[in-house]
Formats: sequence, C-alpha cells, structure tokens
Amino acid sequence: MTRPRIPAARLRAGVPALVVVALLAVILAKGDYRTNFFSGGGFALGALVAAIALGVVVTYRGSGVVNLAGAAVAMYAAYVYADLRTHGDLFLPPLPNPLAPIEGLVHLAGDDSFTVPHWPTSVSFGATMGFWPALVLALVFCALFGLVLHVAVFRPLRHAPVLAKVVASVGVLLFLQAVVVRRFSTTTQVVGPLPFVDKTQVDLGLFKITQEQLFVVCLVLVLAVALWALFQRSRFGLAVRAAAENEKGATVLGFSADRLAAATWVLSTVVTGLLGIFVASVNSSVDPNTMPALIVPAVTAALVGGFTSFGWTTLAAFALGMQVALVTFLGANESWFPKADGLPVPGVDLLVPLVVIVAVLALRGQSLPTRGVLGPGRLPFSPTARPWALRYGGPGLAVVALIPGVFFLSPAMRDGLTNTLTGIVICLSIVVLTGFIGQISLAQTSFAGLSAYTVASLSTHHGWPFPLPILAGAAVAVVAGVLVALPALRVRGVHLAIATLAFAVAVDKVVFANSWINGGFDGATVTTPALIRSQDTDTHHVLGVTIGDGTQPNPLTLVFCLIVVVALGYLVANLRRSLTGRQMLAIRSNERAAAAAGVNVAAVKVLAFGVSAFIAGVGGAVIAYRTGNVTPDKFLYDKSLMFFAFAYLGGIASVSGAVTGGLLVGGGLGFTVLNKVFGLPDEFVLLLGGLGLVVTAVLNPEGVAGKARTDLLALRRRFRPPTPADRPTPADPPTPADRPTPMDPLTPTDTATTITEPTASATTGPSAASTPAAAAAVPTAAATPTAAATPATAATPATASISAAAAVPTAAAAPTASGSAAGTHVGGSAGATPAVAGEAR
Amino acid sequence: MSALLEIEGLYSGYAGVAMVRDLNLTVHAGEIVALLGPNGAGKTTTLLTTSGLNPVMKGDIRVFGRSIRGRPAHRAPREGLAHVLEDRSLFYQLTVAENLRLAAARSRGDLDRALSYFPALEPLLGRRAGLLSGGEQQMLAMARALTSKPRLLMVDEMSLGLAPVIVERLLPVLRRIVDDTGAGVLLVEQHVHLALEVADRAAVLVHGDLVASGTTAEIAGRAAALESTYFGAGPGVDADAGPSVDASTSTSTSTSPSASRSASPSANANANPSAGPDAGPDDRPDDPETAPEADLEGSR
Repeated sequence: MTRPRIPAARLRAGVPALVVVALLAVILAKGDYRTNFFSGGGFALGALVAAIALGVVVTYRGSGVVNLAGAAVAMYAAYVYADLRTHGDLFLPPLPNPLAPIEGLVHLAGDDSFTVPHWPTSVSFGATMGFWPALVLALVFCALFGLVLHVAVFRPLRHAPVLAKVVASVGVLLFLQAVVVRRFSTTTQVVGPLPFVDKTQVDLGLFKITQEQLFVVCLVLVLAVALWALFQRSRFGLAVRAAAENEKGATVLGFSADRLAAATWVLSTVVTGLLGIFVASVNSSVDPNTMPALIVPAVTAALVGGFTSFGWTTLAAFALGMQVALVTFLGANESWFPKADGLPVPGVDLLVPLVVIVAVLALRGQSLPTRGVLGPGRLPFSPTARPWALRYGGPGLAVVALIPGVFFLSPAMRDGLTNTLTGIVICLSIVVLTGFIGQISLAQTSFAGLSAYTVASLSTHHGWPFPLPILAGAAVAVVAGVLVALPALRVRGVHLAIATLAFAVAVDKVVFANSWINGGFDGATVTTPALIRSQDTDTHHVLGVTIGDGTQPNPLTLVFCLIVVVALGYLVANLRRSLTGRQMLAIRSNERAAAAAGVNVAAVKVLAFGVSAFIAGVGGAVIAYRTGNVTPDKFLYDKSLMFFAFAYLGGIASVSGAVTGGLLVGGGLGFTVLNKVFGLPDEFVLLLGGLGLVVTAVLNPEGVAGKARTDLLALRRRFRPPTPADRPTPADPPTPADRPTPMDPLTPTDTATTITEPTASATTGPSAASTPAAAAAVPTAAATPTAAATPATAATPATASISAAAAVPTAAAAPTASGSAAGTHVGGSAGATPAVAGEAR
Repeated sequence: MSALLEIEGLYSGYAGVAMVRDLNLTVHAGEIVALLGPNGAGKTTTLLTTSGLNPVMKGDIRVFGRSIRGRPAHRAPREGLAHVLEDRSLFYQLTVAENLRLAAARSRGDLDRALSYFPALEPLLGRRAGLLSGGEQQMLAMARALTSKPRLLMVDEMSLGLAPVIVERLLPVLRRIVDDTGAGVLLVEQHVHLALEVADRAAVLVHGDLVASGTTAEIAGRAAALESTYFGAGPGVDADAGPSVDASTSTSTSTSPSASRSASPSANANANPSAGPDAGPDDRPDDPETAPEADLEGSR
C-alpha cells in the first residue's frame, strides 16, 4: 500500500503558516508577552521598517534594484529635516571641486594659508524653520535625491549584472553615511517632536500606544494600501511592472521605461524619507548607524513579500519590528533564554530576520535558476594569471613591499602597508567567491572575525603555539562559510547578498558583541610570539642586516603578513588556472549550462565558499596575531560592506584586483598617503570610497586593475606594427560596397568549419550527378550566388570561385572586389585571431 | 493610396557598422509588404530602426509622413505604429488581460476587437503570459499590437520557434486584419513561401542590401534562388545571372515540403498559382536532371 503524499507546494505554504500561527497564539495567550509584543515602541519601529521595506519593494518593482541604501535614505532625510528645523540649514553633500587639487598641492608645498573657493556646505533659510516648510523641503530633497540616484547611478546600470547594482547600492549607503558623519559626526542628533500629535497614551484595548506612534502606524498602513492600489489597479502600476520585466516591450507599447523607473525611485525615496523623518521625530533622535542597519529587517520583510506584495511586506515588517521588544523582554525574564556568563545572549532579535530569510529562501529557492531568471549580465572578466605574473608577481610584490616596508617607510606608512596586506587577504577571499563563482557574500569579515576570536581563545586560554591557531581559526571560518553556502545552493544574486548580510549583522551582535566571547571592553587578548608582535620594538640581526629601528609597528609583522599574502595570492592564482577554477567560472556565467556540462554545481559552490572563508579566516587570524588584541569593530558588517566595496573597486575578478583593492581599503596605504601626505580627514576616505564605488560600478565594472589591464593591452596593440592580418576595425566607415563586419570575432574553428561546408556541398554535387557535364556545371552553380554579386570572381577559374564562395559567407567582412583577396584576408585574420580571442573574453 | 511608411536611403546598424545600407521601401495603407532575407540580412534592424529602438545612421524614415528622427521610441505607438518584436517581448509576469490592457489606449472595445481575431486567447485571459505556449504567446503578441488600433503594423518573425502548422494558421489572420482595418503591414519572415502567400509586395534583403523588390508574384518567381541565399551563398537574385535562375526552377518543387505539411488546401492552392506562371518558361533549366539536385541543395 502506498502512502498518500503531501504535495510539496502545500507543505511549503502550510508549515510556515502553522509556525506563525503557533507563535502568535503563544504571544496572545501570555499577558506580558502580549504587552511587550504590542508595544508602542515596537509599533513605531515596525512602521519604520515597513516604510523602508515598502520603498525597497517599490524600487525593485520599478527598476529591479534591491536598494540596500534604502534605510540610509531614511536616516539622511531625518538629518536633513532635523538640521532644517533646528538651524534652518539645508546641508549639502561635499560636491566635487576641480580646484581642490591645486589647494592640496600648494599646501603640500608648505603654504598652508592658501585657499581656493569651495562649494558651500549648506544653504541657510534663517535661524530655524517651522514643521511644514522643513518637511516639504526635506521631501523635495528626497525626491531630487531619488531622481539623482536614478539618473546618475541606476539608469546607467540598468543592463548591468546584479552584482554591479548591489555594489552601487552599497556605495550609496557608504556615501550617505559618510556625508552625515562628515557633517554631523557620529553623535546622536536631537529631533523635535511632531506638532500635531503628542505623547498622550491611547488605550486600544489590547494594548496602549501614544498618539504619535499611532499616527505613524496609521500613516504606514495608508501608504501601503495606496501603493498597493497604485501598482495593482492603475495603468501606471501595470506599466511599471511591465517595464521592469521587459523594457523593449514596454517601449513599443508607448511607455518610457526610463521615466517609469525614475518615478518609482522618487516615490520610494519620498515614502522612505517621510517615515524616516516621522519616526526620528517620534524617537526624538537620529544617529548615522541605527537606521541604516534597519535595512536587514526591511529587506527580510520585502523578501517575505516576494519583493512584490505590499501587504505581506508590511505585515512582515511590523512583525520584525515588534519582535525586538519581545525578545529583549524574554532575555531579561525567561530562564530558558540562552545565556552567556549569566547574561542573556545579545542580538537574538537580529537572528530572527536571519532565520526568516533562510526559511523563506529555502522554501522558495530553486537549486538551479528557473527559466527566465538567467541573463544576469556580464560579470567582470577574470583573467588567468600569465606565466610571467606567476613567476615574478609574488617575488616582485615581496620586493616592492618588503624593502621599503622594512627599511625605509615611516611607522605610519608601515602601519598603512600592513593594513593593505591584511586588506589584500580579505579582498582575495572576495575574489574567489564573487569574482570566480559569482556569489555575493557580504559576510567576509564575519568569517575573519570568527577566526580571529578562535585564535584569541586558543592562543591565550588553551596555550596553542603559533601558528596552529591560524589553522584552527581558518577551520572555524570554513565551517561558517560552508553553513552560509547552504542557502547559496538554492538562491543566488541579490537574495544571497541579503542572506549573507543578515548573517553578518547577526554574527556582529550574537558573537562579536557577546562579552563572553569578545573579552569585554578590553577585547580578547592574543598571545603573539614576540617576533611578529606589532608592538615589539626590538631590533633583529638577520644575515648581518639590522631590522627594526626601535619604533612600532615591528617590521617583522609586515614580513609575516607579506608571506601570508604571497602564499594566498598563489593559491588564488592557481585556483583560477585549475579545473576547479574553470568550473567556478562556468557556474558564474550560467549555472544551468554548467550543470548540463557535468559540473557539480552544489559541490563547487560549497568548495568556493569553503576556500573563500578559509582565506578570510587566515586573514582574520593574521589580523589577530598582528594586533595582539581582537576587538569587534574590525569585523562588523559595515567592514564587510567596505571590503566588498574596495575589492570591487580594485577589480573583483583577479589577484591584481585584490592587490589594488588592498591598497584602497580604509587604513591601507592609499588611505595613509591621502591622510598623512594630503591631510584628508578620515571620513573623507569612506566618502571617496563610496563615491568611487558608484563611479566604478557605473563606468568601469572591471575595476581599477581590470581597467589598467585593458588600457595596457590597447597601448601594446597601438605600438605593435600593423600587419595585413589585422582585422578591419569597426570604426572604419562602412561603404556601400563593404560587407558588414561580423559582430563576433572569428575564431579559427568557425572559419575552418564553415569553409569546409560549402566545399563539401559543392563536391557532393558531382558525385551525385550522373553526367560529367552536370558535374562540371554543379560546382559553378554552387559558387555562382557570390559570383553574381562579384563580377571579378565570375571570371576566375572554378577552383578559385569555390574558395571565394567558401570565404564570403563565413567572413562576410571580406571586401567583395576580389575573390582571392577575400580568401587571403579571411585566412590572415583567422591566423591573427587566437591572440585577439585570448585577450578578449 | 498614401504611404504609411517611407524608408529612404536608410543606413542603420550597430556599433558604427551599417547592417542595412541604402534601403528604400514604402508601405501603403491596406497592403502587406514582406521583408525577406537570410539571417543577418538586416530585416530586424530595419524594423527596430523604424520603431526608434535603433538609431538612423543616414537616410530617413517617415512614418505617416513625419520623420522619425528625434522622436523618442515610446512616442511611436501613440502615432499609430505597432511593432511585434522578434522575441515577442511579452510581460510574462502579467496576465494575458493585463498584457492587452497595457496596449489598449482607449477602450474596452479595442480589446474585444483584437481578441476577435484570436478567439483562442479568450479562455486564457486570467493566465500569466509566461505560462502560455509558443503559439499562444505569438497570438498574444499580435493581439496586443492590434489592441492599440495601429495604422501601421510591423511583425517580426512571426514564425520563430513555432510549428509550421501554427504559422500557417497565424499568417492568414494578418490578411484579415488588413482587409478589415485598412492598416499597412510590414512583415519580416523567414518562411518565404508562407509570407509570399499573404503578402502583396515583397522586398529581399541580403547582407544589408536590397537585392530585389516587387509584387509577390515577381518575387515568388525567384523564390528558390532566394532560398539559396539562406545557406550563405550570397545574393542570388539577379536577373542577369543565368545559373542562379537555374536554381529557381525548384520553386514549385521546393514549396512542396512545407505545402504538403499544410493542413489547409487553400495554402497549396495559393502557393502554386502564384509561383507557377511567374517561374516562366525562360526560367526553366537547360538540363532537367539537375533541377532536383539543385532543389536538394537549396532546401537542405
């Protein structure tokens, strides 16, 4: 007897529904759970999360971008509004000033009094501003900002891979945070109350809520209904959905996809900004960090709503906002709540979004992308390491970094160089994961941090000798990486980015903010051998050479980091050259095709996550040993975003890109030069990084290293003497007599196969024909279509015309004037092709 | 009869390379013009350029007497130009009804009228377009284009990815539409014989050059020579080239594979008379024995 099977689809819908109902029942049944879950503060937080989530959904539906900067827009709007209310100033982001380098150079030359005109930092509207004008002005600013985001950032990226869009939105997030920190510092800003509601309690039977909280909640619910109606019922909404799916299709029906996307950007920034302002007013304060981090629950809610449903998104957002207060209450009052050192484990409220994300993705995800999901756009080119680079790259880097680093650089620059080296390691881990296999992880510093804390614990509390803890730390990171890889088996692209971001945020709070693990205020101590301890100031004599000048950091720390970088660099370069590397690239370009070609997609993905986490783990261990003290701030989620940003900026698909990325990271060599030599303040570097990221994503998706490589190749081609074998460039003005140049460069195999085909058909003719006369006639006939168009070939012997006929259809670029010339031309270009094809994709 | 579409000396292409060169073409109200040619001939490019989705390099295109230069692509449908794209460009996430509603500029009436040509879509109105079969999708693409009441309809590769049987049922609908509405149609098609059955006039593009144009009957007379170009032998339609006309003898024979598959006897009846007389006695091969061979070559 066969058991009746429950359809998987019903199970997928039923189980989560049951879990949610059961949880709600428990909450409603217990009085103090209920009061904590349905609290005014919870509602207000839920409203803000919902508004951000609604903005994310609107943007996604309009332009297909998951805007990770959505929550930062809310924060930014609140700052604009607060500054207008209290000072009457509309603060402006730092604008590019072409004169600034002149000033910098003059300052460098020693004349510090010299200044050039600068853009204003704010526009003043008087001493203070009333509520309505400030609100309207702030919202107008939001609308303009939305428009700028569309026109300057996301419209140029509309055909770009998901990765570029994620990177650009991370860039916007970093930029907005950096601008606010630059203008207002990281301290909390006071925001005045709303004029038309106050803090009097309203009793709604089940729970109590203040007037202003109730107002905010109602506003969000109204907005959600309005947005739903707009998208579901109006022609505009229909057109937005249509244009998001198929721009060309919408255009031929008379809709400008561009304008529709612009409208949705404005709509989302205004909705998000409005609630950012109101919730900041309700909370009486705003700071640069709290609100942007709400992107995690907001995106989780959007994910629950499938990035389309406003209703489910709003519900989920409220639930995710409201559970925070309940979890805090549980931690304080319930004995079963997980404890560490007698205190409730922090950040459990952040685990909730992670669990929801993993559950949603596991239930909805597909092990291979479904039809219509493919076509993610082209990712940056990933070159294989050239033999000379393999032979000389490592030693070259070592010499370039080592000699000045050990003997000549000032302590500050030496520190910057060491930061660069550890940065390169993290960037290398991103190169493997994102550059090679196309998976986006925003949790790389979480892996590094887990490893660093493992190193601290093992080396100090368990007495493990150096370098064993490095391996143990890397192993812990690998375990975490493989765990993160599990959702990656079923989801990809931006969904994976969201899952890893939630993981990073959760690890920040649950592990790194856990005083049981992080060693409290002083951080976790790492027992480092004196030889590589950064604080060590002894001089060493090696082969008669004195190393160290009695200053910190210890030059040998740098040597230690350098050895690790070179070893890992070779690991990554060789990985790219190996079969596994090619399998990774195959998965990156098309998972379905890779699977069809016999690549075990799941295994290679897990392996890539493992290798990437291993590299990040080694990086974390090196950071731990180098500083001798692990503090959470080096590994928080925003550092992951930053490293991701700089890895992308440097060039995400190659070792050279990672090296460039390392030079650019905060605290790295580039940063130190800007800071110490040009006197640029710290926040500026992040600001430039965010801006640079957006610019790179838009203009130059291959990153700095990729751009340098293509420029170098172009330069080399220019100085190489032209040979007749060179293909005509597309820039040649086409004349009516010319055949069009084929869009794809010919490959030798193409030419070979197509040349043989017509010849074969010409020879089958005679063999099938019965009379010699027919045999003579048929090859000519086969060749004639060309001959008809080219009188010159019509006069040539039969053999020549066959070769011409063979050449013309394949090449189609060949000048028609002479058949034999066309033949040599095609042959020549085919001979030249391998070099070209090797350098192009 | 006024010209709905006038293409004059058009150069158009991609990345600075002209894929279509010096093209002249007109479409009048109430006629179907078939634009034929092998892959890469520039047919789709011509249509995309007319829609404004691809820039004009040189020359001019006038739609309803107005030049399209400087007109944004999304303005074209408002002027009465409908374009069924090669990939159909349906909105798979939207339902059939929503797909149609997007195009319906004015009233429910337009929608019903468009559906009257494709009654098979009626029961599918609530279904997502992504769940339709290839033939149904093509019907939806056509119906969507008709919903906007076009005065000029451009249809790109209606037959792409469809079984010949379905194509044979879809193409005659075009004729009905033109007869009912008086619209002009520019039809790009790879199925030369089917296209010639419904079209009034035809133009042949090979490697971006217009190599032949004229009434359907004139073009049909050289259909086989035309087909030989599909296999990359270069432009074969040339009145002076004797041997290439040789190949065209196969006209009647080479239709037969597709015609025999055709369910409707009218398709056969249409194909042969139009091809037959114009193949002409002077187009007959010198050696009858080579004809079947040439045909084999051509249709392989």
